[in-house]
Amino acid sequence: MRTYEVLFIVAPNAPEADVDRVTDQLRQTVADAGGTVTKLDKLGRRRLAYNIGKFREGDYILAVIESNGREVAEVERRLRVADVVLRYISVRVDEDVKRADKLKAARQAAVAARPPRRSHGQSHGHQQMASDMEAEAEE
Amino acid sequence: MSARPPRPPREGGDRGPGGGGERRGRPPIRRGRKVCHFCSAKLYYIDFKDVKLLQQFVPERGKILPRRISGTCALHQRKLMEAIKRARNIALLPYATD
Repeated sequence: MRTYEVLFIVAPNAPEADVDRVTDQLRQTVADAGGTVTKLDKLGRRRLAYNIGKFREGDYILAVIESNGREVAEVERRLRVADVVLRYISVRVDEDVKRADKLKAARQAAVAARPPRRSHGQSHGHQQMASDMEAEAEE
Repeated sequence: MSARPPRPPREGGDRGPGGGGERRGRPPIRRGRKVCHFCSAKLYYIDFKDVKLLQQFVPERGKILPRRISGTCALHQRKLMEAIKRARNIALLPYATD
């Protein structure tokens, strides 16, 4: 499974019904392809960093999609077609998050493996040192 | 990316502090060694939605702050660049301001 973040901007003057139609459509599209929408957040109205068309602000909506990747193209197509959507971006995040977690874990392991410095930091490396000593005893 | 030319040998190595090697112009301002913001924060994934964070690396003009100034490490500068460009695309950050 892959995780995607789809962030899009809806025109500030768009009627509620149109916005709902877009989000419902998104849910439907993802569900049809066997994925799930794990999060659908309205991030609220924000001032845009630059004007898009005649708009100076927009409503940001973030969707987090758990899927195998096939529905993203369709989701993008629908966002592109929807008149109320000013801009969208979809980013695959699972690989980066996974790598980040791995690096974090590796770092923690490295910290734990480091021999303790004098008095402090002893709680970290204690067990590791004990096993080191056992290894030495065997030699 | 092109390789940086090798550093010239340091001047006045054996002349002790304050000795010789006077160059024209202002003396270099020595600041403490810069450390990567993201390394010290132990941040590995830079979120393009985190505008507050990204803004620290986008000065007035809207350009991405170079590494030589911010001290960001190569890996994180690359990730930062990616995040800033994504943020620009979705109008969270400006492409340029004047």
